[in-house]
Amino acid sequence: MTPAHFAFSSAFMLGLAGLAFHRTHFISALLCLEGLMLSLFIALSLWTELFNLTHNSASMPMILLAFSACEAGTGLALLVATTRTHSTNRLKNLNLLQC
Amino acid sequence: MAPPIYSALIISLGLGTTMTFASTHWYLAWMGIEINTLAIIPLMSQNHIPRATEASTKYFFAQATASATLLFASISNAFLTGEWDILQTPNTLTSSLITLALAMKIGLAPLHSWMPEVMQGLSLLNGLILSTWQKLAPLYLIYQIQPTNSNIFIILGLLSIIVGGWGGFNQVQLRKILAYSSIAHLGWMILIISFSPPLALLTILIYLLMTFSLFSSFMLTRATHINSLATTWAKIPILTMSTPLILLSLGGLPPLTGFMPKWLILQELTKQDLAPIATLAALSSLFSLYFYLRLSYAMTLTMPPNNPAGTLPWRLNQQHNTTLMALTTTSTICLLPVTPAITALLPL
Repeated sequence: MTPAHFAFSSAFMLGLAGLAFHRTHFISALLCLEGLMLSLFIALSLWTELFNLTHNSASMPMILLAFSACEAGTGLALLVATTRTHSTNRLKNLNLLQC
Repeated sequence: MAPPIYSALIISLGLGTTMTFASTHWYLAWMGIEINTLAIIPLMSQNHIPRATEASTKYFFAQATASATLLFASISNAFLTGEWDILQTPNTLTSSLITLALAMKIGLAPLHSWMPEVMQGLSLLNGLILSTWQKLAPLYLIYQIQPTNSNIFIILGLLSIIVGGWGGFNQVQLRKILAYSSIAHLGWMILIISFSPPLALLTILIYLLMTFSLFSSFMLTRATHINSLATTWAKIPILTMSTPLILLSLGGLPPLTGFMPKWLILQELTKQDLAPIATLAALSSLFSLYFYLRLSYAMTLTMPPNNPAGTLPWRLNQQHNTTLMALTTTSTICLLPVTPAITALLPL
């Protein structure tokens, strides 16, 4: 495993742990999701730099950025919708669907 | 929702799945899956009630995590082998991680916890789209991975069959029962996918037919609870005949179509010298049969404890478009004798 691979893998794992173990706020989960996407952006740019010497797929990181922005927008819209319906962004309040 | 926005979202749903089906590069497959997720979120939360918003939020988190993990595994595979082709994912660690990410996408155990709650918060039409259309793209990717060892698929499959059956025991809400039934059926598909991919395709198709019929039956009477099923006899009497047959077909009982995939899967597993796994799968599907039977019992053999003459609804001339539902219901009940023809066509 090259140092570059190790770097983005550990960044991804940290973000994933943050997303899986978030405890209080909705928005911290969204931040961890953004962190995941950032580590993937760096990974794709590094791949193009190190392995793809013809640079014919150099647009991959930009498309990832576009999709990540759409996802972040959706997440924030859901945050606003949750705050409107549940009056808070605390995750303990998302308990309507248990039974 | 305004018609232009609604049609744009439906077209995006179709576009996402089509992109994933048409792709040989992992990146394009990931893009199709992301488009699917983004397109269904507004459909789920369109009526702005708290349950729908909560269901959309939980769905969004589960799917976003799974998509990111899928892309991470693909990029790791590209770093380790330089390959982006879907048909050649030889590295075992990354192909296992891709399988786990796709398993979370479709709601296999042990990554299934989002599924019952999300299904509970959606309307029946959105639940139908979630259980049928949204499963197609990830299942197609799993079909194409062509793994070398089948352990992860057997574990995912068996756990899903057991969890799908056991989890539905105590449920009275129909949408949660449908979610657990979906988990169990996907478990059967994943169990066989490494031994005989055409059989997994057959299971997917039959599952789509049965689930579409069942959701359509519930949509006609707008039933969301077992108590609502008990008044079906007064609204649409023919449903009290067809819905129990659809439920028993989902449970896999012999003269009905649902027996066909289970039978062929058990036969294939026995041929591969995995008879104990086949036995465990068959016995675990008895759990699901229990709650399907409970739904049939509530629908056919009970009457609600109220005054029938005073509470019968008016039998108005309703405009139900039931053409597709009639076709799929008939297929769900009567297709078992066609098994030899289907078996001959299977290696396709």
